[in-house]
This record gives sequence, structure tokens and C-alpha cells, in this order.
Amino acid sequence: MEYEFKRQDFYSGLIIIAISLFVVVESWRMPRYFQGWPVYAAPGIVTGLLGLGLLGMGITLTIRSIRRQGTPLAFKRSDILSYLKDPKTHRLGLMFALSLIYCLFLGHRLFYIVVTVIYLAIAMITFRGTSPFKAIMISLMVAIGVALIFNRIFLIPLP
Amino acid sequence: MMELGPLLIFKELVKLISPMILFHIFWATFVGMIIGMLPGLTATMGIALLTGLTFGMEPKIAIIILICVYVGAITGGSRSAILLNIPGTPANAAACLDGYPLAQRGEGGQAIGLAATASFIGTVFGLFCMAFFTPYLGKIALEFHSWEFFWLAIFGIIICGNLTAPADPLKGWISGFFGLLVSLVGMEGIAAYSRFSFGFDQMKGGFALIPVLVGVYGIAEVFGGMREIIFPKVRSKVGRIIPRARDLINHYRHILRSGVIGVIIGAIPGVGEDVASWVSYDFAKRASKKPEEFGKGSLEGLIAAETGDNACIGGAIIPVLSLAVPGSAPAAVLLAAMWLHGVRPGPLLMFEFPNYIWEVTAMMIMASFASLIISLSFVRAQVKILLIPRAVLMPIVFVLCVIGSFAINARIFDIWVMLGFGILGYAMRNYNYPAAPLVLGVILGDMADVNMRRALIRTAGDISPFFTRPISLILILLIVLTIMSRIKPLRIFVSVTIAKVKKLFTRQK
Repeated sequence: MEYEFKRQDFYSGLIIIAISLFVVVESWRMPRYFQGWPVYAAPGIVTGLLGLGLLGMGITLTIRSIRRQGTPLAFKRSDILSYLKDPKTHRLGLMFALSLIYCLFLGHRLFYIVVTVIYLAIAMITFRGTSPFKAIMISLMVAIGVALIFNRIFLIPLP
Repeated sequence: MMELGPLLIFKELVKLISPMILFHIFWATFVGMIIGMLPGLTATMGIALLTGLTFGMEPKIAIIILICVYVGAITGGSRSAILLNIPGTPANAAACLDGYPLAQRGEGGQAIGLAATASFIGTVFGLFCMAFFTPYLGKIALEFHSWEFFWLAIFGIIICGNLTAPADPLKGWISGFFGLLVSLVGMEGIAAYSRFSFGFDQMKGGFALIPVLVGVYGIAEVFGGMREIIFPKVRSKVGRIIPRARDLINHYRHILRSGVIGVIIGAIPGVGEDVASWVSYDFAKRASKKPEEFGKGSLEGLIAAETGDNACIGGAIIPVLSLAVPGSAPAAVLLAAMWLHGVRPGPLLMFEFPNYIWEVTAMMIMASFASLIISLSFVRAQVKILLIPRAVLMPIVFVLCVIGSFAINARIFDIWVMLGFGILGYAMRNYNYPAAPLVLGVILGDMADVNMRRALIRTAGDISPFFTRPISLILILLIVLTIMSRIKPLRIFVSVTIAKVKKLFTRQK
């Protein structure tokens, strides 16, 4: 039977093994008699045990994916190219890039409303959610509304 | 205490009847319904977002707003399930099966009305179960000590992983264990040692729950929604909305059964409304005299699914209040919100805040009534909201997610945490890892860590009480059985053995 997650499981299994090994090693390196507490109260005891549990599960996932029938484990150049050419990937990348830039601009003495209006308008126009004029108007209303409601009424600081 | 329960609920209800509180109840329920209606915005995300945004408000008002959003979102999700065949929240997926065929037959209004009423009955059933059972469970919870709390945390992760990833529970358990580890970043509670912080001051405080939740549920949804832009087509004719009494009376068995199923599933840590809805639907189909109509516009199916998911709300709050263990992902956020507002749910709740259970019950009663009223009115206006393009909606949601994450501690670091967990949540979704166990792990991590170490300190390093105390033993047995039930060779071995044993006791002809 074709197992669609064979490849995904293999790579995610490897990532989990790497993370859990890191956790186990870091836990081992944590102090054993920290501030006079006995060894069984060491800060690394639970993290170490959880890391070992995760390691076991990561190994199981990886071995299981290798033994299963389905997609070859190695990536082909054509797979990567078709993924990169997919319009859905473009949209995802664009949204991620826009959001990242928006977050980078927050908290740097730039006026919150201005940054938010620019982000919203660009996102709406780029993804063709509505006409540019409507997008700018919606962005203005949302940014001012959010700033007023949350900052003035709910007394929440703006980034 | 139990004899006075109804009276205390009534007293709390009276306290809630003020113009300002009623205003908050109605707008929050309406917002919850909109969040629930819009595909991609879930109840968990809505509550997580509002937790940040209501942080500065009076605790009572903030909690009532969150409860209203919770109830509203689970109820509202059936709208898009019926009219678009896209569930507004995962909890309403089962409602698509019969709701959409009903809408296609021109009976969308009837389906909406019935779904709303079934949701109302389910919520009320769930909240009364909550009011009745929480004090009892609270008394049992007083018998829980460090050993039991450690196993309870592990049991929560295992059962949640098992039920939220039915196709591959291993991924559910991985998600849960990862969540436990995430919660242990930063200074720990016994010796104040800073774990996995790599010298960064911000990391020493650990990852705040709300940015993690908003990231995993909200940002992952924003990225997913923008990747696959759907242009919804809504059937504008909805017809009669107010349900006929006979439609409800004729199906009282399904309502009762689904209510019980919803409450039980809700009380299981981390499982949640979507599982409750599917199980209720499945049981209704098995019990129906017309199972062939299921999936083709059966009223029984729709009523069962909607009663089950809403009854789950009350069920999910039972362990929140009695054990501080959330029964579902939205309940996990509610628990976090209670902590943020100075309430400590758990075994001592009845001593520290004796009226809190009745207060929450009264809040849920108000939320369920508000939800019913809003559900049965302004339907045509609400339907128009479904037409908002995702390319307009999702960037706005992102802006709200940013504000919601930032609001709790006013730290830019939390925005980065949100974004990081958003990417992780998106990857997990694509790789079929459930998010609910991760969230539950983040909630229960501290409980597992502190209680295990505290227990070892109390016994001077002796681990035997972990395996010999009665409640610990029961929890271990449940954990082992849950894991074994998902291992195929073991399952086959058990069924073959049972068959052989049965054969021994069967009279030979």
C-alpha cells in the first residue's frame, strides 16, 4: 500500500532524533547538586527522561518509515523544482516574507498605525483580495480601529 | 454544598444581569460566532487571541468574554459547515455531512435552526454536568499528590495523542512530549535553574503560553489560508430558521446520547469537541432506524453532531476546574486565562474560590442563551460575512494575532515566539502531527516536572510510590492500556487470546 507520509515521516523522524539527542545531552550537562538540592531533584532529570522518550519515538518513526512501502526517501531535483514552481508555494513564501518584514518593523519607534496600514494594504493588494482603493481604506480602518480599541479602551500597549 | 448548588447558580446569574455585562456577553458571543463561522479561525485561536486582548480588563469580565467566545465559536462553526460544506471549526466537520445536503435541498434555514438549538441543548446539558460533577471530581482530586499529578500529566499526553491522531498515535505522542519539553524552557520552579535558555535573558522567562497557542493555531491557519485561497460560494436562500418542536422531541434520544458522549469525551484531557462530534455522529448512525439517510441530509446526524460538540464544552471544563488539566484545546486556553487573572483551578479551587464553579456555570448559561438568540436572528447578515475573501481576512487576523501575543507581557520577543510556533504549527499540520497534544504538553509540562522532582525529594529518591500508590497504579494501567491498544501485533494477540478463551467456555456441539 502506498504510504503518503513515508518521506515526511523519515525526515521528521531524523529531526526529532536530533532534537531529542540535544535535549538528552544538555540535560546530562545540567548541574546535579544545584544550590544544595539532592541529585534526584536535579533540573535535568525530567527533561532527560522526556528527551529519552522522544528519542525512542523518533527512532521508531524513522525505522517505520524506512520499512514502509511508498515514495522514495531521497528528494529528486524535479520534486524540488515542481514544489518551488507551485503558485501555492509562492503565495506561502510571499505571505511569510510580508509577515516577517512587518514583525521586523514593529517596536522600532515607527508609528504602529503606519506600519500596520502598509502591511495590510500590501498584503490585500498582492493577494488580490480587493481593489487597491478598498484595500487602503480597509487597512486604514482596521489599523486605526485596532489602535483605538486596544490601546484606548482595553489599555493594551501597542508594539 | 450540592443541595445549595442550584441556588448558588441562581445567585451568580443574578449578579451577571447588568447592562454592561450583558453588553459584553452579546458582543463576545457574536464575535465568537463570527470566528467560528469563518473557515480557518478556530475556537482555540479566538480564545487565545481574546485572552491577550482582554488582559487589561476586570478578571470576571475577561473570563465571561472568553467563555462566550468559546460557546459562540463552537455553535457558529456549523454555519459554514451547512452553507459552504467547509467546517468553521474542526468541531463542526461532522455537521457538514448532513448540513450541506440539507442546504442543497433548500432546507439550509431549517438546518441552521436545528443546529443552533441542538448546540444550545448540548451546551446546557454539558454545563449542568459540569456543575454537578466538578465538586465530586474535586473531592477525588484532593487525594492526588505529587506522584499522581506526574502520572496524570503523562496520561493526559498519551490519551490526547491517541485520540487526536487516530491514524498514527505515535505522532500525537511525539507532539505531546515535545510540548512538555517546550514548557520546560526557562527557569524551573524548584531551584530556579535556567534550562535551555542559552544565555538569552528573554528565554530565561520561558515561552509564554498565549504566543505559543496563537502561533500554533492562529499563524499556522493564516499561512495555510493564504496558501490555498478559496472563494466561497454561499447559497443565499436559507428559508425557515426557527426549528419545529417535533423535530427536537422526535430526536430526544439522540440529543441525550450525544450529550452524555460529549461530556465524557470533554472530560478526557486534551481530546476536545471534534472527537466528541464524530463519536456522537457515529453512535447516532448506529442507533438510527434510518442509517442509510446519514450523509444525505439526515436531521438525526446533524442534531447528534451539534449536541455532542457543544456538550463537550462543559465536559472539557470539568477537569480544568477540578484538576487544572484541560479537556480540550480551547479549554486549555481558558485555563491559562484563569491563571493570568489570578484564579488557580485545581483541587484547592473549592477552598480558595468556593463560588467559582457556580460563577462559571452562570457565565455558561448566559453564553448559551446569547448564542441561541444570536444564532436564530441576523442569519442572513451573518451569511454575508462568509463572503469576505480570505486575502482580506487573513492579514487582519495576523495583525490581531500580533497584538494578542504582545499584550500579555508587552515583549517583542513574544511576537517572535508566536511567529516561530506558527511556522512549527504549519509544518506539523502538513506532516500530520496534531497540535492539541503539543498545547496540552505546554500546559502540563510544569506539573510533570515539579511533581516528579517534589515526589522524589519527599521520598529521598525512592521511586516505589510512583508504582505502588493506588491512584498511580490506575493511571499507569490506563497509560499502558492506551499504548497497547494502538500496537497492532498486540491488538491481534489480545483478540486471538480472547477468542481462544471464549472457545474454552463455549459448549461443543
